Order: sequence, then structure tokens, then C-alpha cells
Amino acid sequence: MNRIKRFFGQGNIGYLFVLPAAIYMLLLVGYPIISNFILSFQDVTVMTLNKPHKPFIGIRNYRTLLGDGVLLPSLVNTFVFTVCCIALQFIIGFALALFLGRDFSIARPIRGLLMIPWMIPMTVTALMFKFMFSSNVGILNQFLQACGLIGQPIEWLLQPRLAMLSLIVANTWIGIPFNMILISTGLTTIPPELLEAASIDGANRRQSFFHITLPMLKSVIESVLILGFIYTFKVFDLVFVMTNGGPVNSTHLLSTYSYKLSFTLFKYSQGAATANILFLILFVVSIAYLKFVYDDKETD
Amino acid sequence: MKKWLAIAIVTLAACAVFTGGAFAQSKKTVTIWNYWETPKHQETLARICKDFNASQGKVEVVTKYIPFADFKKQLSIGAAASELPDIVIIDNPDHASYAGMGIFADITDKLASWPDLKQYFAGPLNSCKLDGRLYGIPFGSNCLSLYYNEDMLKAAGVKPPKTWDELKSVALKTTKGNVHGFGISAVQNEEGTFGFLCWLWGSGNTSFQINNPNGIRALALMRDLVKSGAMPKEVINWTQGDTMNQFISGNLAMMVNGPWQVPTMRAQAPNLKWNVVTLPVGAKAASDLGGENFGVVKGDKVDEAVAFLKFAASPAEMKTYINDFGYIASRKDVADGQFANDAVMKVFSAQMASAQPRGPHPRWPEISDALSLAMNESLTGIATPEAAAAKAQKTIDAIVK
Amino acid sequence: MPERKASDRIRNLSLCVLALLAFALLMFPLYWMVVTSLKTEIEIFKVPPTLVPQVLNTDSYFAQLKHGDFNMFQSFKNSFAISSCVMLICLVLAIPASYGIARFRFKGKRLFILSFLVTQMLPVSVLLTPMFIIFKNARLLNTQLSAILADATIGIPFSVLILIGYFASIPKELEDASRIDGCNRFSAFLLIFLPIASPGVIVCTVFSFLYGWGDLAYGMTFLQDQAMRPITAGIFNFMGQYGTKWSYLTAFAVVTIIPVIAIFVFMQKYIISGLTSGAVKG
Repeated sequence: MNRIKRFFGQGNIGYLFVLPAAIYMLLLVGYPIISNFILSFQDVTVMTLNKPHKPFIGIRNYRTLLGDGVLLPSLVNTFVFTVCCIALQFIIGFALALFLGRDFSIARPIRGLLMIPWMIPMTVTALMFKFMFSSNVGILNQFLQACGLIGQPIEWLLQPRLAMLSLIVANTWIGIPFNMILISTGLTTIPPELLEAASIDGANRRQSFFHITLPMLKSVIESVLILGFIYTFKVFDLVFVMTNGGPVNSTHLLSTYSYKLSFTLFKYSQGAATANILFLILFVVSIAYLKFVYDDKETD
Repeated sequence: MKKWLAIAIVTLAACAVFTGGAFAQSKKTVTIWNYWETPKHQETLARICKDFNASQGKVEVVTKYIPFADFKKQLSIGAAASELPDIVIIDNPDHASYAGMGIFADITDKLASWPDLKQYFAGPLNSCKLDGRLYGIPFGSNCLSLYYNEDMLKAAGVKPPKTWDELKSVALKTTKGNVHGFGISAVQNEEGTFGFLCWLWGSGNTSFQINNPNGIRALALMRDLVKSGAMPKEVINWTQGDTMNQFISGNLAMMVNGPWQVPTMRAQAPNLKWNVVTLPVGAKAASDLGGENFGVVKGDKVDEAVAFLKFAASPAEMKTYINDFGYIASRKDVADGQFANDAVMKVFSAQMASAQPRGPHPRWPEISDALSLAMNESLTGIATPEAAAAKAQKTIDAIVK
Repeated sequence: MPERKASDRIRNLSLCVLALLAFALLMFPLYWMVVTSLKTEIEIFKVPPTLVPQVLNTDSYFAQLKHGDFNMFQSFKNSFAISSCVMLICLVLAIPASYGIARFRFKGKRLFILSFLVTQMLPVSVLLTPMFIIFKNARLLNTQLSAILADATIGIPFSVLILIGYFASIPKELEDASRIDGCNRFSAFLLIFLPIASPGVIVCTVFSFLYGWGDLAYGMTFLQDQAMRPITAGIFNFMGQYGTKWSYLTAFAVVTIIPVIAIFVFMQKYIISGLTSGAVKG
């Protein structure tokens, strides 16, 4: 008892504060990560689930997955989805931030209201876009037809490429506010004198954007892009509800494919292996993020 | 020592109080999981349980609803966590999977002396078996047949199709404006497999063969119907309920669906003129055997569960509920004369003669996934029937062999 | 106030119009959802579509009350209970943890920050099955506590990381001064740090509630009873049951986002600061 007291007394009292949360996370998150890792090297399917001995099969699950014709496309999909979403969100978000950063009467309230899409449960967003993109009753097709832009309804959710595009549009809609707000905040940290000075020196808008605004926002942009990557890469609900990987497995992401393997096909080990691949990629990116954001904070 | 004993007794007593006096209660509770979502089905099931509970004093049966989309998931995670009910009302092709997983009790010996077993039709009863052992009994059966809109067919001057070729031409002739000639449920899951198998079997194949001229013909039929515009491509997003809604809204001239839709259709579209015929025949007559089985879960309440099964399956009790479900009885003595006054249900009854169960195979979900994928691929034109069949066969062979 | 020049006014006006156009375009999906929920099923299928319901139809909202086959208001209450508890757990655990990390020196501090960061980025599929077994062993399955405990694992790391920033930004002199006044570390925490960090605490409150509200995967997996499930799982199930009955589905969706809109109206500035302080350094 005394030893414990001494331990916490000697500047280690910080542990007392951190431990409850740490233990909670260790139990509910740490343990599952490890158990998932082990599961991915075993052969656990419907047949072996209840047997006490779970055969260890090394990396065979990973090998099987690489050859199953869905995992690799899902991996590619996940990257395509993530990169397209981030690019669109970032460009639109940046443009909106610049636009709403100008001084006019309704700029602030509009910027606030545009936050709403980011807060809505993804299940609802997915339902909404599924409705708007539906081929026969969807407003998008009706609008395009009314404008005479298309003759036949476009099969948004029925063709692989278009379904992926629809998902990207829906997820971009969610992500725009996030990008916009972060960049807006970043913009306010640029001293206005700097831009004024540049314009006195004869720089035009484009020049001062590329030579002052962008460099000043470097760290904000890094954060936005990396965080955007992490949030987008693991998206599950949106795809699960909107296409559930269809048509014909063409829009599966690693997250939805892992869910399908575990909870529709009951190949738990393969599902775990897919989840691990997703986790490993995210882990590497998270470390990169940590380096960017927390490195210099720690040095003081 | 005495002190410890006293503490132990007090603790035990406290536990007994907190567990709701389970020790004092002599009645055993038997829980049934089911996925029937319509209120009518729920009420009827509750009534069966009430009848049983009133008929004896030892067992109390309670029901619990789990949504269909979640059912298999809950069952398999439940198995992993030994969090299972005592009886499961299960989709018949899954029965073997879960028996293989070891969650169901082998009740072959307990029913060996039960005379009623002989009354059951072979198809439904076989779906309760794995390796010749019995893991439950059928609840009730249904199958798929062809619904058609009488006015639309008359307007096009055609009769309900009897062969695949006639199906294609009738479907095309009844396609006009917003109306499509034909629709099925083709979602990429078990429901879609269910909608596709009647064509695969009709071509002369089994559930496990697809990469041969027969299987390719079945896939090509799906593709041709979509290609000609007679069937909307959206069927890949339609559940059976959606298909029925499209039909009663007048957007479809024909659809494939089951008898459980009949009560709803009669209630919701009383003015629509429709009728049912047996499915168009390819190489041979075929339909899907749908319906549920009672599966008895391993554990200490197997005897009580079996007692309930015998009660619910008795001809007297079965007659009180089977029509309300829109099901066809799985036992001959009840099925005979079940629909004496119902022309539509008689068609389904007749169709039962050619209805086959899916699988059965312990890894049916994976096989089913391969089949519905192949159907979706050729239906949407993402792959040719030949390529889709070859791919599906590869998956199935890896599982079956 | 000096009179504005005419050219300024025109500039202001044209920017406003432009902003409103962008706003209308981005918010159209939400508008369309609300409008659809108030249309009759026949009007929804009408070509060309009507922008405003011709016949106001509130049936979609009340039909479920009447028929009782699925009650969205019950699942609304469930979500509310679950999210509130998630919020409490997050605060109780995250406030001390972030305070400890921000104000004390101890070994492995970086490791703690790293772990919180990584857990925030975990995909749900990694956690589902193992968590299920944990909850089963703890006899929590099919109780709302299971969903609450699982949802809190999203909110805790977020809150910790946000609050570290707030606690760290409090000058050391203030702490020293409180020491001189005779406060010990705990009372300093309660009397000085917590009030100063209160905007951060509100941010965490709002976000952990929203995380709980938005969750689908956990609620859907750990709760079997329809009567206990959160509203997101309710919608998902409803989509399976009513397929293409869009008036019902959109009504359900509108009910789901009501609290989100309410939170937005009252908490807007905290949401924005939560988003930014979570990501932007310095």
C-alpha cells in the first residue's frame, strides 16, 4: 500500500487521472484488436465456431482473400473512394471557405448552416441519396430529363461505376463542411496585413493565393487531408445502407466486405483478416498524422 | 467455518432474490425466435403458444421477434456466445447450416415413435435433416408461382405463358410505357437466390451445378428479359415485397412471388384483377420450396421443446393457423383439402409437387452468394452468362468438393 | 454609421445571392427529404416532380403510431437514452484523462496520446465480434448498456484529444498561483481548470452525444429486441420492411435528424470549435 502511495506521490500522480479511461479503452478496444488479430490466423467459420479447438492456419486466410476476386477490387475501391472524396471535399470546401471568408452580410450564418450535413447520421444521408439517385423516382434523373440533358433514365445505382460515383457524391456532401470549417479557421490565422502588403507590392489575387495563403495554410491542409483520409477510409454505414456493396460486389469497401464476410457468409476469420488489412493501413496513416500534428507540441 | 457457511447461505439467498426467484419457479420457459414481421403472423404465433401454455402446466413458451435481415447474424453470433433460444423458426435452407454448426439438437430418436412423422412431405422434411439425422420438423411450406394481371394480358391478347419462350414473348408484348411485362426479386442475397433457383432447376440442373448449357440457359433467360426491356434492371434492388408492390400498383404485368402475399394483395388491391398459374416450364417443372422449420436448440430444454413441436404440429392445432400464414401445410393429412374453396391457393398447392428445397448444404450461405452473384452479373450485363456461370461454379466446387 | 457606397452595396448583394445559391444547392437533399415525407405516395411518383406538396400529408408520421407494427417514437427514446449515457461516460472518463495528460509529467505519456489517437481511427468491423463476446460474458447482451459502452469508445478518444488542448493552454502561472492560495491539485482541477476548460467540455458533450446518435453498427449488432434498438437501426430495418415506400422512410429520417438540428441551433459555435480544435494545431 505504501509503495503504491509513494509511486503516485512521486510525480506519477498523472496516472491516476489517465488510468480509468485507459483501462476502459484497453478492455473494449485493445482486447478486440488483439483477438481480431489472432482470429485472422485461425480457421473460424460456421463449422468451427463452436468447437473448442480453433485450427491455426497461418496466413492462409490472407492468401485466400487475395485470390477471391473481391478483396483486391474492394481495396482498390476503398482507395478510389477515399481519394476522390477527399479531392472533391477539399476543393469544394476550400472554395466555399474562401468565398464565405469574404466580408458580406450573410457569410457567417450560411457558413454555420452548412455544418448540418456533417452532423447528420450517415444512415439518414445514405437513405436520402439512395432516394435521389434511384433510376425511376429519383429527383436527379427527373431533373436531368426535364432539362433535356438525358433521354433515358441513368442507372445510377445499378451500374458499377455509376454506383461508385453516387457513393462518392454522397460522402463528399458529408465531408464538405468539415473541410470548409477547418480551412476557414486556418484562413483567419493569416494576418490581413500580409495580404495587404502583397497587394501594395503589386501582387494580384492569384499570386497572393499561391504565394501567401497556401504556404500559410500548409499545416492546416496537412491536417485536413490526413484526417479526411482516416475518416473516409473507414466509412461503413453509408455504403452499407446505400448499396451494400452492390451491384455485384462492385462497390464494396474493405469495411463493408469485412462485414459481409463475417456476418453474411460467416467466414469470421476472413472477415477479421480483411478488417486487419484496413486497420493496418489506417494505423500507418495515423502515425503519420501524429508525427505532423503532435511532434512539435511535444517538444516544449 | 460456521461464519463462512452463513455468509455463503446469505449470498445464495440474495442471488436467488436477484435472479427473480428462478429457483422457486417450477415452470420452465422455452423461448422461440422468429422473423415474421407482419402483425398477423405475430398474433397467430402468439396464439399457438398461448394454446400450448394453457394445455399443460410445466412449460411456458414465449416468442421473440428478430428482424429477418439480422436473423442469421444473431443466430451465429449467438452461437459463438452461447446466447441462444430453445426453438428457432428458421428458413429451411439454413437449417442444415446451423445443424452443421452444432447448434441444433439431434431429435431423431425422440421422434422415432411419433406416428405423425410419416405424414410429412419428403421435401420439407429433408430440409430438417443433415446426414440422415433429424434436427427439427417443418413448420409450413410455400413456393413460387407466376402472378399475372388479367386485364393487361387480355389487352395484349395473350395467355399466361407455359414455357420459357412464351414467357419472353408474353413479357415483351405486355411491356408498354411505364409497365414492364415481368418482374422477380433479384436482390443479391438469399432472397434473390430464392428467385433464381426455380429457373436454374427448371433448366434441369441441381443447386450445385451452373456451368453447363442448362445453367447458362437459365442465366441467359434473365439477361434476355432485361435486354429486351421486358424486365426492369431495378429488380436487383427489389425484395419480394417490393415486387408485389410494383405488381399491385399496376407497374408489372406478371411477377414471380409466393402465396404469403395473397392476404396482403387481397386487402390492399381489392379491385385489381389478377390470377396465378404455375411457373413456365423450361426443361422440367420446378419451383422453390420456401417456408420455415422448427429447429430445436441443444441444451437442457430439448424435451420441453419437442413437446411444444408435437403440440403445434398436431393436425387439430395446425388447421387453426396454417391458412392465416398463407402457408401450405407440410403434412399430407392437413394439406389435403386445405384450400377447397380457394382457386388461387390451389395453384400454389399444385405447384408444390415440383417444389424443391434449396441446398441443403452446411455452407449454403456461401453457395447462395455465388448463385445470386452470377444471376446479378448476367442480369445487369456486367458479365456474360458463360463467364458468370464459370465463376460461380468455381466457387461452388471449392465448397462442395 | 457612415453611409455605404453604392458599389459596396451591389457587391454585398451579389455575394449574398451567390451564397444563397450555393446554400440552396447544398441543402437541397435535406429539403427534398422533408418535402417527400409530407407528400402522398402517388405524388412522390409524379412526373414532373412537385417542389412543394400539393396535398399536405402527415400520414407518414402518424401511420406508425396507429398501426403499431413499428414505432419510430420508441426508437427515438432509445437513441436518446443511449446517447445521453454515452455522453456521461465520455465526460467522466475523458476529463480526468486529458487533465492528467496535459498537466502532469509521467512516463509513457506519448504512448497514451498515440493510443487514444489510433483508437479514434479504428473501423467498427475490427471491434464487432470480439466486443460481442465480451458483452456476452458480462451478461450485457441485448441491454442498452452494451451499445452505450461500445459507442463511448468513439467519444472518449475524441474528447480526450480535444480537452488536452484546452487544459494545456492554461498558463502555468495560474496553477502556481492557486497552489500558493492553498489549493491542492484536486481542488485546483475542480476550481480553476474545469471552469476555464468548460467550452471544451461542452464540445465533448455535444460530440459524444452525436456519436451515440449516429451509430448504426453497434446498436444493430448488440441489441436484438426491436423495442430497445436505436433509431438508426430502426430506419435500417424499416428500409428492409417497406422497401420503396419513400414517404414512410423519409418521415422516419426527418424524425431522426430533429435532435441534430436542435443541437445545431443551440450549440453551433461549440461544434465549429470542436471540429477545429480537434484538428488544427497551434
